[in-house]
Amino acid sequence: MRIRDLLAETFSAIRANRARSLLTILGIVIGISAVIAMTALIDGVKYAMVAQLGLNQSRLVMINAYPNGEPLQRSDLRQLEKGMTDYEFLTGTAGTSSSVSTGQVKLDGIYTNGVEDKYFVAMGSKFAEGRGFSEDEVDESALVAVVSQGLANKLWGQDADSVVGKSLSVGNDRYSVVGVLEDANGYTTGNETLYVPLSTFQTRIYNWGLDQVYGYAREGADLDTLGERTKSYLVSYYHLTGEDADGYVYIQTMKSMIDQLDSTMGAFQLLMTAVAGISLVVGGIGIMNMMLTNVTERIREIGLRKALGARRSDITRQFLLESVALCLVGGVFGILFGYLGAWALATLGSGLITSGMGMQITPVVTPSTVLLASGICIGIGLVFGYGPARRASRLDPVEALRYQ
Amino acid sequence: MATPVIETQNVYRIYEGAAGYTPALRGISLTVPRGEFLAIMGPSGSGKSTLMNILGCLDRPTTGTYRLQGIDVSDLSDDDLAHVRSTQLGFVFQSFNLLPRASVMRNVILPLLYSPVDPRERELRAIKALRAVDLPEEYWDHGSNELSGGQVQRVAIARALVADPPLLLADEPTGNLDTATGEMVMRTFLRLKARDKTVVLITHDAEVAAWADRTVHIRDGRLLTAEEERAFVERTARGARAAAGASDKDAASAVVPAGPTTPAPIAGPREASAL
Repeated sequence: MRIRDLLAETFSAIRANRARSLLTILGIVIGISAVIAMTALIDGVKYAMVAQLGLNQSRLVMINAYPNGEPLQRSDLRQLEKGMTDYEFLTGTAGTSSSVSTGQVKLDGIYTNGVEDKYFVAMGSKFAEGRGFSEDEVDESALVAVVSQGLANKLWGQDADSVVGKSLSVGNDRYSVVGVLEDANGYTTGNETLYVPLSTFQTRIYNWGLDQVYGYAREGADLDTLGERTKSYLVSYYHLTGEDADGYVYIQTMKSMIDQLDSTMGAFQLLMTAVAGISLVVGGIGIMNMMLTNVTERIREIGLRKALGARRSDITRQFLLESVALCLVGGVFGILFGYLGAWALATLGSGLITSGMGMQITPVVTPSTVLLASGICIGIGLVFGYGPARRASRLDPVEALRYQ
Repeated sequence: MATPVIETQNVYRIYEGAAGYTPALRGISLTVPRGEFLAIMGPSGSGKSTLMNILGCLDRPTTGTYRLQGIDVSDLSDDDLAHVRSTQLGFVFQSFNLLPRASVMRNVILPLLYSPVDPRERELRAIKALRAVDLPEEYWDHGSNELSGGQVQRVAIARALVADPPLLLADEPTGNLDTATGEMVMRTFLRLKARDKTVVLITHDAEVAAWADRTVHIRDGRLLTAEEERAFVERTARGARAAAGASDKDAASAVVPAGPTTPAPIAGPREASAL
């Protein structure tokens, strides 16, 4: 029997039993909904966190190195850059909190970050107004500043036309603002940061080494191996041994952060998997039950088909395809409801989380999730449809035709 | 002589049940040449259905051989028998056995789904078969549950013809039909015979059997010999005369299935098509 004929037979059989079919696939619908909602939410949270952390620069490797307890200095980076050719550049930051004033407004505890010119490149920063620092400004410890939109709003009010060119004071120094950074994702909560050139920071605000070094990987580099290579390079460069190696050098890539996230999502995932698993098994049993009823109801039809030349395999395939098709229909509804459910949960969840983290979760359904769900459906259809289909195929045509 | 369509030799069919062994067929030897219209007559329990199942390759003889178109099919596997059924045989059932949810066209095409016929040819073949049974074109896209009994049986015959098999097997094809429609069905068989089809008809009804070229009688799993048959015919004739004396009406309506002598259970077309 040809595939197209099989499909036509299947379609007409399912249509003939519309109401019963719909009820039967409910278990599958719920199970697949759970699978889809779970993966859509987890992926959504992942993307949201990545965006929140400002790590959508997937080429970023975070390097924390304190060889023998001492922080790195700017000059060290230039040396390291020569040896670590996997990176386009390394850039370091140092930070502390300080008091910022404009004369009218004075704010305490503003996070002040000393950065190099390439920092904004590495972070993929967008400027609402103005620009970042030039290499000269960093080299010459110029008294210039970049503010986050949140800080600009606090210092000059939301309605200020232009902030570039205004000045602010930190300690006894007056800085002229050259740029305003767009806040990540348009959220302003807790995002008040002042940026000054690294050299200016070190000479005038706080003289300490680099808190954090960012490596900007060359295009196409594999971040996992890059992280490993970076660590071993630093370990041998600074002649670190044993515990020192782990204690003084810490490398993190975005990928490793996502992996970390995955493990924290584990509990949630386990719960949803259990729900999905149970309802899929129950759904599968429902499918099996319906297929057994189908076979019994259609014994004479099976006898007829056999009399007309259907082989065992034709009958097996017909009923197997019917149960697979039922499961797939359930899967389609499941994907739909799962996505809607994920939206509902995300809206609810974002409301709770936003206040703390400023995070917007958007459920994400990827093609691989849809493929996974479809695969599960086909699997259930095959497993639970096999028994009834086999039973149908083994019916004796004479008995089946005589069946009342 | 050309190869006969059906040739059975000493066919036994013995059922194994809780009550022990029951022989349903006891040494049937039967030869049917190409183009013959044969009636197999016998009361219920005579083994005619068992014989029909074996001739239709739905069942295998316990011993003995059955050659269909010269090929020994007594020991074929299930799948091979299915292939034989789809290429060599057309079935016409008493209870029609159409798929109620499918159109006339789809019912007629059904056997072709299991045959090697090119899908593009299916419709053409179905149209040919429906023309051969004289079913008006306006019914072709009707559901089979919208047709009258006679129309349904004509669709069933069209379905049996669609794969162009050399042999048609009809099991009480008029059992659920009134006299006029029954006659029409028999005329259809005569036309098919004229087109060199071999038709084997199973019936308990002498009037129906009278349409055939030849009638063989089956009793207790055996075909009657010529002498037994002559004696049987005389007995039947005497019985018929007596019946005619008692009630003219009964004798005249011998083809009518609703008559009191009809042992087969009667299912209306609606119930029968509730497959």
